Amino acid sequence: MNSDFHYYATYCASIIAGYSHQEAMTISYSDQLVDLCCKTLLRDLGAPLSAATTQLQLELMEARTDIIGLQDITRIWSSFHFLPRDLSAKPPTPCSKKYLNKYRLICGPNGKLLKMTVELAKDKPLQAAGLAMHILADTWAHTYFAGTPSMVINNTNYHFYELMPGEDGDIRRKITFRHSASLPDDLDNCIYTSSLFQDNEKSIMNLGHGRAGHLPDYSFIRYQYLPAWAEYEEYTKDNPSDYHHAFCQMVYAMKYLRGIHKEFETEQYDTDSVQPHIQEIDNIIRKRQPDASEDWQALGEKLSGKTIDPFDLNRYQEEYKSAPKDQKDNTFIGKFIIAALAQKSMVTNQIFNSGSKLAGYSIDYEKGLPGRQAFRKPIFCRKENKP
Amino acid sequence: MSSWQRIKNILIGAGLMIVALILSIFPNMSANLITTIICLALVLYGVRMLWFYTTMARHMVGGKAILYRSLIILDLAIFTAGLSGMSSFVIMIYLLGIYGFNGAISVLRALEAKRFGARAWKGRLVNGIIALIFTVTLLCFGLIAGTTELLIYGYSISLFYSAVMRIIAAFRKTAIVYIQ
Repeated sequence: MNSDFHYYATYCASIIAGYSHQEAMTISYSDQLVDLCCKTLLRDLGAPLSAATTQLQLELMEARTDIIGLQDITRIWSSFHFLPRDLSAKPPTPCSKKYLNKYRLICGPNGKLLKMTVELAKDKPLQAAGLAMHILADTWAHTYFAGTPSMVINNTNYHFYELMPGEDGDIRRKITFRHSASLPDDLDNCIYTSSLFQDNEKSIMNLGHGRAGHLPDYSFIRYQYLPAWAEYEEYTKDNPSDYHHAFCQMVYAMKYLRGIHKEFETEQYDTDSVQPHIQEIDNIIRKRQPDASEDWQALGEKLSGKTIDPFDLNRYQEEYKSAPKDQKDNTFIGKFIIAALAQKSMVTNQIFNSGSKLAGYSIDYEKGLPGRQAFRKPIFCRKENKP
Repeated sequence: MSSWQRIKNILIGAGLMIVALILSIFPNMSANLITTIICLALVLYGVRMLWFYTTMARHMVGGKAILYRSLIILDLAIFTAGLSGMSSFVIMIYLLGIYGFNGAISVLRALEAKRFGARAWKGRLVNGIIALIFTVTLLCFGLIAGTTELLIYGYSISLFYSAVMRIIAAFRKTAIVYIQ
């Protein structure tokens, strides 16, 4: 998903869920910040690097693909962009433990980890809610791909077709992939940019949906392809339907965070609240355009009657930099960092407990074992918040 | 290219330079030694690929290609082992054949990269064409003249050229297309 959904659509969902304009701005800003909070930014801010929620192209280019580097990559991408659907999943045929661990990282909506992610944001600052909404929305967009470099899971081949509406049902159009970073996607001719094929299992080119290009990020597109892990079964990805579900689930999740629902259940969508705006939302989602920001912004401003400021990465940086050391956690970015560390700890712990070390080791600080200093923060905050 | 890949390229380049030097200093003794090294390298690579197929790639769409490749490589290793004890002339023809085949693969990959819109296809194409021209020229001259020395020295030069290109590549700026 791109900033159009993570920033503007999240704002719309927050307003529908009952948040005020200011609260919705905080949630949508935090949602979009997940795609920009890299180690380079954190280093500039003097913040803990462990809180990184993404890796930029330059960082990925230099990323190590030894065991330590791969664990770092997996922690970031599995925790925030490709939340595993089922860490106890088993492929249809017997397989090695090595393959099983990667198979279990395949992202999808409505998993146990999604429930834990949303519950983790309960009674926390709004930054945590924004972060959780990013992860929730990505579980829909990034379905069928894993947040770890893996050719056997994330690779795609020439069998890739876009479904276009025709007079007598859908028409299949062959998708052509190219690898030029400078050329934009050619939507009219179904020519899209994707990462290069590398027959190296751990190549960074095989991380996430790189091999399928930006297709999972476009709300309008429907396509059919052969996921590398699906044993030649053709899968159809219906993004308009998935984005619609993501939007309705965000509204439901945010109502839970506001205390309207007592529990957060998976497979629940607040279609009633969305219903009055369904036609407009559906039109935006299905409109064939690479960036729907303008349309979502117009809808958001109509819903709240307020102006939505464009996303500005520098907006809260000075506040964090100039805050005294003991006050940094109370700044906008400080609260975001704590939420990010808590999420990363939780997902790493769950992956580790599933018997996989792909995201690294998970250490229980409360038992007094040594570990990375930065991850102590969420625990101290949790203890302080206890009644 | 990551830092580790750069270091790896420099080390391989240095290794190729050493092999080229050994070949040119001891032209009559080293052909068998180099064949043995190539054979061992092919066996290790083939077994590693077969293991990857067995544990991982057999579940992957298109994973059979990795099985076929590993079997071809192991076949090549057996063939290479069968060359030990043969005359240096035959071994050199075989080594040049591998070098030429590598050049042809480079050309095909460059054309494929061009078709996909990747930027770094020209260098690969030039390298492939140079390797092919070198192989054909050396084979022609070697077969006409019937001298092993000419083939050995020519092959050493080609190895040296490959080593230099690898080291240059290690210092080159690289760009990647990664989808975020």
